[in-house]
Formats: sequence, C-alpha cells, structure tokens
Amino acid sequence: MQDYFLSIKSLKVDYEQKGEPVTALDAVNFSLNQGQRGVIIGPSGCGKSTLISVLAGLNSHYSGQVLIGGKPPASGGETALILQDFGLLPWKTVWDNVILGLRLRKKNTGEIKTAAETVLEKLGLGSLGKRFPAQLSGGQRQRVAIARALVLEPKLLLMDEPFSSLDALTREELQDFLLEIWEETKLTILLITHNIEEAVLLGQKILIMSPCPGQIQQEVENSLAGASHLRGEVQFLEMCSFLRSFLRGRAHDAASA
Amino acid sequence: MRQALKKSGGTISLLFSVIILLAGWWLLALVLNSPAVPPPLGALKCFLASLRGDLSIHLGVSLYRVLVSLMLAAVLGVPLGILLGKNPDLDARISPMIYLTYPVPKVVFMPIFLILLGIGDISKIVLITLIIFYQILVTTRDAAKNLEKGYISSVRSLGGGSRDLYLHVFLPGCLPSILTSLRLGLGTAMAVLFLAETYATQEGIGFFIMDSLSRMNYEEMFAGIIAMGLMGFFLYIILDKTEKLLCGWVHL
Ligand SMILES: Nc1ncnc2c1ncn2[C@@H]1O[C@H](COP(=O)(O)OP(=O)(O)OP(=O)(O)O)[C@@H](O)[C@H]1O
Ligand SMILES: [Mg+2]
Repeated sequence: MQDYFLSIKSLKVDYEQKGEPVTALDAVNFSLNQGQRGVIIGPSGCGKSTLISVLAGLNSHYSGQVLIGGKPPASGGETALILQDFGLLPWKTVWDNVILGLRLRKKNTGEIKTAAETVLEKLGLGSLGKRFPAQLSGGQRQRVAIARALVLEPKLLLMDEPFSSLDALTREELQDFLLEIWEETKLTILLITHNIEEAVLLGQKILIMSPCPGQIQQEVENSLAGASHLRGEVQFLEMCSFLRSFLRGRAHDAASA
Repeated sequence: MRQALKKSGGTISLLFSVIILLAGWWLLALVLNSPAVPPPLGALKCFLASLRGDLSIHLGVSLYRVLVSLMLAAVLGVPLGILLGKNPDLDARISPMIYLTYPVPKVVFMPIFLILLGIGDISKIVLITLIIFYQILVTTRDAAKNLEKGYISSVRSLGGGSRDLYLHVFLPGCLPSILTSLRLGLGTAMAVLFLAETYATQEGIGFFIMDSLSRMNYEEMFAGIIAMGLMGFFLYIILDKTEKLLCGWVHL
C-alpha cells in the first residue's frame, strides 16, 4: 500500500442553513503524493471551498478521515492557504502582511526579518514592502499572498481560485510563476479553479467534482501538467475538451434530472 | 508638493470660512440691533479676557467631561460591538434589547442620574457616555459583521487565535467606522454636555453661558459660545488627525 502525503477518506461535511442540514460534501475520497500538484475543478457551489477549509484546519465539523503528513488538519501548522481576494489585510503593508504568520508563530525578530527579506527578494517584491495592498496590481497582490504562504515553509499549499480575478496575461504569468516555485520547492499543492486550461496546465492530478452533495466524480492523471510551452497546442486543447465534456455531461445530467 | 498644496488649500478655505462666519455674524448683529446679539469684535475681546479669568476653568471642566465620556464610550462600545459582530448567535439574542433601548432619548434619564449619582461630574459623564456608547456599539457591530470573511480565514489559517483576530482583523478593520462614529458622537456629546451643564451645577461652559444669560451679560454669553464652538472644533480636528494617522490605508 502506498503512503500518501494527503489522504481523504469518506469525507462528509454538513452545514446548517435556516435550521436545515445541507450536505456540502459527501463520500469524498482522494489522495496526493508528497510533492504532487492536485487541481480541483467543478461547478459553483459543489463544495470546493468547503473542502479547502477542512484541509486548512478552519472547519473541524466533518466526518471521515483526513490526514496531512499523517496528522489531522490544523491551522497554523504546515499548511498555507491562499484565497482569491481578501486574503491580504488591507490595513497592513506588504511587509506586515508577509511577516504576520511568522509573528503569530512567535518567531524572533531577526529570524522574521531575514526570512521575509529573502522571500520578497525571491518573488521580485523587494521594493514593494512599504506599500498597502490597494497600491498593488492584482498580480502583485497574489504574489504577495504567495510570499506570505512561502515564508512559513509549508508542506502543503492550498489555493482557492488564486488567479480568478486576474486578467488573462497576468494569470498565465502567475501560473508559470507557480510552476517555477514548485520546481524549486517540490511543495504539495492543491489548487481550486473554474478554469479548464488552468487545470490542465497545473494539475498532475485533476479532480472533477460534481455538486449536491459535492463528490469527486472523476480523477484524471494529466501528463501535460507543467508544460506551459504546450499552451494552445493540439494535445493541450484535446485534454481541455476532454475535461470540458466531463463537466458539461454532468451539467446535462443535472438539468435532465 | 501636491500634499503641501492640498494642505495650504485647507488652511486657506478654513480662513475663508472663518471670515464668512464672522461677517455673517456681524451683519446679523447690525440688522437685529439687539443687545442679545453683540457684534463679533466685542464678543471676541470678551472671550480673550474671560479666558484669563474663570472661563478657562469652565472650559477645562467641560473638556474633561467630554473626553472622559468619549473614551469610556469607546472602551465599552468597541469590544462589545466586535464581540456581537463576530458572534451572530449572541448578536441575535442581544440586539432586540439594543433596538428597544436605542431610540429612547437617554437625556430623559438626566434627573435620575442627578439623584443617583449626584450633581458632580459623574452624572454628566455617565449620561454622555451612555448616549455615545450606543452609537459606537451599533457602528462597530455592523462594521465587524460586514468584514470580509476572507480576512478572518486567512489570519486563522496563519495560526491566529481569537486574540489575534481581534488585534489584526477586527480592531483595525473596524477602526475607520469607529472613528467616524466618534466624530459624529462628538456633536451629540457637546449638545448633551451643554444640556447637562445648565442644570444644578456651578461648573462647565454650559453653566458659564446660562449664568451670563441670567446676568444679561451677552458679550460674556457669546464668549462662552465661542469657547464651546472652539472646543468642539479642536476635538473634531484631533479625531480627524487620528483617523488620518491610524487609517492611512483608507486614504490611498
Ligand atoms: N458557512 C456556510 N453555511 C451554510 N452553508 C454553506 C456555508 N458555506 C458553504 N455553504 C454551502 O455549501 C455548499 C458548498 O459551498 P462552497 O463554498 O464550498 O462551494 P464552492 O464549490 O467553493 O463554490 P464556488 O465555486 O462558487 O466558490 C453551497 O451549497 C453553499 O451554499
Ligand atoms: Mg469557493
């Protein structure tokens, strides 16, 4: 039996809406190897963010088994979370945003300074430390969010639609950037997206979710992942339409049901 | 450069407003030709003279009452407002009580406070605090409630506990609203202060004004009005500067 870094078995999450229980996730099973990039794609409301919040240790009201590096999820541990917007605190400068995690971990000042300087320099943000998030472009903002995650040296990087609000070019730039970071760190990454091309580009393992309640409908091993030079090439587009047919089919089933 | 221009522009328009105000007052005094509205020059002279006399003592007392009240109201209203804002269940239980008592004009309790707390500073401070407290409580609660959930999840995911959320998310996130409600509350506080000081007391600007009135010394009365106006103005400026200083990120 293989030892996975991230393993999820029979995960079920219920919410309460107006006193009624609503099942957001049911019987979710999947796993990722250490250093693998997983991408979750699925229609709106199928429970992707719910899944991420469980993994980030923000929602402990779940049943089933979730193990990250052999341990149940916990916030402030070895998992870092990046959100679409509103992840950075607008009242803190870039610098203060980046060091927040280290401060909360009670690291000493010297250590914090060195770590933050190194990360900001590496991500090309060295000169932006004094700015507020509102003074950055969307792309820069997400770079800062990545810096804030990386400075904690996490083992698992969770990203909830990190590039959704970016324009196409910036989005591609950051996708490549994420791949570079992965090459260097070999982090385990789980990323949520609505964008099929993004899934094909980034996901070594693509997990297609279906709604009501959210389940993993299909797991696709994707050999094209990471090949950003293939963007727009025939095999790439074929893979995209393959995924699209799955997502469509599901929507069709739902409509006819 | 641009900032300097903006700043000098502010000073100029302020000067301009003062001139217009004084001119209007002077015209009014001219038209009314009544001892109850003396022209500004005499009133200003009297104001400066009274400052060297007992007006400054009254001013000090009033300032003390307003400052302590505002501070108390903030110290009580902000944490409670945040607590309610971040706990919808608690809020649902408490807010009916707030809505029931919020519209009741608290000044009607002044006689009771006078009886229970005496005619000294405490009854006045409690009254003003109570009124401002409600405004701060409600504003802070709404601000906390409407904070983006993403800020909360991201700080929690970084390992932040409840205290960290207060310190890094709720307090700074609500601060602009808190300071706005304090600025609005200041006007109310001054009005209530005046009312409270015209009643069973020998101290404060309210007393000074009413006392001058009863002696039909209208110039002195206007000196008191000027003092009250300037006090409000300076408190307002202080709050405004504090907001600029602490909430720089809002004014980018
Ligand atoms: N805090 C909550 N309380 C009650 N119900 C919730 C809560 N959060 C999510 N839900 C419900 O759970 C389901 C899944 O929501 P979730 O946010 O995980 O979906 P999602 O796949 O991330 O959607 P999107 O693609 O729009 O971001 C939805 O039906 C949603 O209404
Ligand atoms: Mg979502």
